[in-house]
Amino acid sequence: MLAAKLAQAGKKVLVLEAGPERKASDLFSSQLWARRLKWSGPRVESVGKHPINVVFGHGWGTGGSALHHYACWFRLHREDFEMKSRFGLGLDWPISYDDLRPFYDRIQKEVGVSGDAEKEVWRPPGDPYPMPPLQIFEQGRVIARGFEKLGLRTAPLPMAINSVEYHGRAPCAYEGWCDAGCPLLALANPLAVYLSQARDAGAGLAHHAYVTRVLTNQNGDRATAVEFFDARGERRVQEARLVILASSALQNPRLLLNSAGPQHSAGLANSSGLVGKFMMTHAAGNVFGLFKEKTENYRGVSGGQLVSQENYAKDPRQGYLGSSQWLIANALKPNDLLGIANARPDLFGNALHQFLATASQHLATMTFVGENLPSRENQLTLSNRKDRSGFPLAHITHEFSSDDLKCFEAGMQQGKAIMKAAGAYETWSNGPVSMHDLGGTIMGKDAATSVVNSYGQTHEVSNLFVAGPGIFATSGAVNPTFTIHAVTLRATDYVLAHWSSLS
Amino acid sequence: MGSPKDSGPSEITRRELLGRVGSGLLILTVSTPWGELTPAEARAKGASFKNLTAEEGALLEELGDVLLPGAGEAGVAHYVDDQLSRRDPLLFLKYMEYPASHLEFYRQGLAALERLSQLRHGGPFARASQEQKVAAIRELSQKNPEGWNGPPAPLLYFVVRNDAVDVYYGGEEGFARLQIPYMPHLPPPAKW
Repeated sequence: MLAAKLAQAGKKVLVLEAGPERKASDLFSSQLWARRLKWSGPRVESVGKHPINVVFGHGWGTGGSALHHYACWFRLHREDFEMKSRFGLGLDWPISYDDLRPFYDRIQKEVGVSGDAEKEVWRPPGDPYPMPPLQIFEQGRVIARGFEKLGLRTAPLPMAINSVEYHGRAPCAYEGWCDAGCPLLALANPLAVYLSQARDAGAGLAHHAYVTRVLTNQNGDRATAVEFFDARGERRVQEARLVILASSALQNPRLLLNSAGPQHSAGLANSSGLVGKFMMTHAAGNVFGLFKEKTENYRGVSGGQLVSQENYAKDPRQGYLGSSQWLIANALKPNDLLGIANARPDLFGNALHQFLATASQHLATMTFVGENLPSRENQLTLSNRKDRSGFPLAHITHEFSSDDLKCFEAGMQQGKAIMKAAGAYETWSNGPVSMHDLGGTIMGKDAATSVVNSYGQTHEVSNLFVAGPGIFATSGAVNPTFTIHAVTLRATDYVLAHWSSLS
Repeated sequence: MGSPKDSGPSEITRRELLGRVGSGLLILTVSTPWGELTPAEARAKGASFKNLTAEEGALLEELGDVLLPGAGEAGVAHYVDDQLSRRDPLLFLKYMEYPASHLEFYRQGLAALERLSQLRHGGPFARASQEQKVAAIRELSQKNPEGWNGPPAPLLYFVVRNDAVDVYYGGEEGFARLQIPYMPHLPPPAKW
């Protein structure tokens, strides 16, 4: 998006993408082929009691992880921005929901989001969605019964997926191949919206361009270029008046730490010591139910059909502080990491065949997304091991807090109760596993306690910006992509308004 | 609601997608001296393994068959072996972020399984009884057996089990076995 907006404003833009080019015609409907789209870059050493999952959730090639994301587009809630001041836990953002609201509103119109703002009663104030919600199928209807019986509300899941033709893009075909990337461009991946705009406006996009460091002037107070290795493994330098790091919450801190120099001995823009700190990931898990009736779980979209945020409001009287939500009725395939076969990883032999035969017709599932309180101890540092270009790998340590785990456990109990209420004759759960990576270059007002400001501008190098969920100060319990876009659009307006001083 | 049709990015229409349906779609293929074959065909023709030894391939097939009966005949060993030749293998192991090479994972895992069988049953895994095989696999699924010297046993179990599911159920034929529609937006090509 940054590339599109800056190029449209007449700036000369170059996007350096470490992986290969991906086109819509490469997005084959196969969970095996889908693995090409997942991280294939230098290994990330991920350790700790609850290690952050790297490969599945990250991307490799044009569009990065957004190319295979499930397009669940939620707004963060007001309290997500004010955790420290309201509850004495977590961190505060330097901006409020109201600061971001106009950008959420602009983005949803530009990109296209489908949903029902009225039914989504927990949603903070904002414009109605430009498209009606996606269709609900049998799996969604079956699980919704359970919520209703327990007096819990659901709403259509807000998706950056076309429910009707929108801005020249086709509507969804509900075939559940989102994880493999959407060649119809019904789902708003980067190919669908901003990359083509960027190219049309003259932005360059170089692939197999593996950026290793940001280079600065002698004083260390201005970024002057980035160093990268091209497809032949040759070192190149690209000069720039403005540098924006958008290589994910895992690779951005690594880049900054690897860019240490005489003026930034602890890493570029790291005089706070916080580059790599406060790494966060949502605590995710699935609840499953087997039903007598057919659930048609192969219909729909990977992200789900319905949402419930009845447990979003943070209330310490629950015995923990944290938000959560349910993504209800994810479309399923038999194989792959999130496939039906892995709903019961203990089964093998003929028992596995029997389970697959039953579950492919009668299984229903929903995904729990739970908050991860920011902790300084969850951190990314540099490994002793190096990549092929000689740069230290990322080493991440992560553990969920006791609040996070209590929130998760409460969710699993509730989820099983919902499935039973819906009529499931068997129900079970899994997790927690990590979903979405955030933090590592958190935003704040004070340079002593944050890495960037609310625009993603590093406190120490005014023409160096960081984009993406790495700048989030808290995780909330919603999928981050909508907020990433809103924060970035706000940053884009700032960059353009201050171009002459920044560049 | 939806806006009037205006220019948008290049996309593939559903008609174009379906128009690309041709031969050899929606199946895994393995490169052999006879050309691209399905893993099952490669196995039936006795295609040589390119990375695994014949013994390793046979053991992988045995293990695959215990984990998911029929995976052996479906060509799980030829599928894995062929993928190991690729610059960026699309094996399930990719998701597990294993710190060493894919080939070493399988080699060391299979060798550890064979040693376990020798220790427990005095013979190769292939000649253990079905009960003995199942008991061994159940143990592997939970922890490293005593004396185990290879990649984590539960990881070996999980990965090869998923390889078996991939090859048996991961394509159009597998979906049909489960009586669920494949519904491709864009069918995968015959050649990897």
